[in-house]
Amino acid sequence: MLYLILALEVLLLIEAFGKLGFVMVGFAVSLLGALYVWATRHRFGENLIPLEREGMPWLYDGIAELARKANVPMPRVYLLDDYIPNAYSFGNTIVLSLGLFEVLSEDEIIAVAAHELGHIRNRDTRWFPLVTYGRFLVLMATLLLIISGSMPVKVASSVLYVAYELARSDFMKKREFLADETALRLLPIPMSLKKALEELKYYEDLRTKVKVSAVPSIEPGIEREKRFTFFTETHPSYEERILRITVEMGMMRMKQVQ
Amino acid sequence: MEPHEFKLTEEGIKAVLPPLEAEIMEHMWKVKVATAGQVYEYMKEKHPDIRRSTISILMNRLCEKGLLQRSVEKGRGGMRYVYSITTTREEFERKVVQSILDALMTNFREATYAYLSKIKK
Repeated sequence: MLYLILALEVLLLIEAFGKLGFVMVGFAVSLLGALYVWATRHRFGENLIPLEREGMPWLYDGIAELARKANVPMPRVYLLDDYIPNAYSFGNTIVLSLGLFEVLSEDEIIAVAAHELGHIRNRDTRWFPLVTYGRFLVLMATLLLIISGSMPVKVASSVLYVAYELARSDFMKKREFLADETALRLLPIPMSLKKALEELKYYEDLRTKVKVSAVPSIEPGIEREKRFTFFTETHPSYEERILRITVEMGMMRMKQVQ
Repeated sequence: MEPHEFKLTEEGIKAVLPPLEAEIMEHMWKVKVATAGQVYEYMKEKHPDIRRSTISILMNRLCEKGLLQRSVEKGRGGMRYVYSITTTREEFERKVVQSILDALMTNFREATYAYLSKIKK
C-alpha cells in the first residue's frame, strides 16, 4: 500500500511540474537515502554504554542464543542511562534502558531483547527509518502540490498524504505484532514476554495516574515527552499486544499437542 | 527538599511525605545506599503485593524531590542504578521545622510569637 501511495505521489509531482518534477523526485530520493544512512549510523545526544559479556553474561549469552536461533549476526547491545524502562533497535543494534533492570526479571529483559531482535530479523530496522522519513518527504511534496498545483492535483495530493499516514500507522503496528510473534518463537520461556508487557503496562498506568487508587499516595511526577499522534499512532497498546500474545501462545501449544 | 504540605493527623515524616515514600526514606536513612531491588525486597516483607515498578517510580520521585540521588554503578551483577541519601534524617527534620515556622511567622506572626514565648516559660 505504501509503495502504491508513493508511486502515485511521484506521478502527481511529474504531472504537476514536468521535468522539474523528475528533479524533485531525484532530490527527495537522495535526501531519503542520506537521512537513512544518518539514522542507522548515528545516535546523538544519548548516553549509550556498550554491553560487555563480563558485565552481564546472562544478558549477553541470552541475546547471543536468540540471535543464533533467529539466524542473524550477534547484534550490538547498548545500555541507556535512563531510569524509565525502554528498549529500541536500529540497524543491527539493540538499546536497553537501565530502568528496565529495575522493574523486570532477567527472563523478562531477555524477552524485551527478543522483541527488538524480532525487529532486526524482520528487517524493520531498515524499513522504519525509510517509512518515518518518507512521511516528511510526502508532506513536503503535498505542500508543494497544494501551493502550485491545479485543483484536482491539490485534492489528490491531500488525499494521498492522509492515505500515507494511515498506511504508515497500519504498517508499523503490524510490524510490532510480527516482532512479538518472532520473539515468542525465539524465547525459551515465551510466557516471559507476556509478563514483561504486563509489568511495563503496570508501570505506564502508575506513571499516568490511572492506578493512583491502587497504590496510596502515588502521584508519579515523571512524564515522557508527549507527542501529537492523532490518527497516526504507530505502536499498538499493551492490551492489544498482550491479547495477541496470549492467542499466539495458545496456538503454539495446540500445534505442540498435535 | 522544602515540604509544601504538613498533615496534622499523620505521625513522623508521614506528615510531610506520602506513606510509602516515607517508609522508603526511613529505610534509606538506615542503609544510606541501596538499589531499587534491595529496597523492593525490604518493602515486600511489609507489603507482599508491592511491585518492582512501584518502588522504582517512588525512588525516582524521591530523587526528583532531592531526598535521594541516583548514580550508575558497575557491580558484580552488571550495570545498575544505586540510590543514596542526600541528607541525614536530622537535617531533613530541621528543614521541615524551619519551613513550618517560617510559614507560621509569615502568616500568623503575633500568635506564633505568643505561643513560642508561652512554651519557653
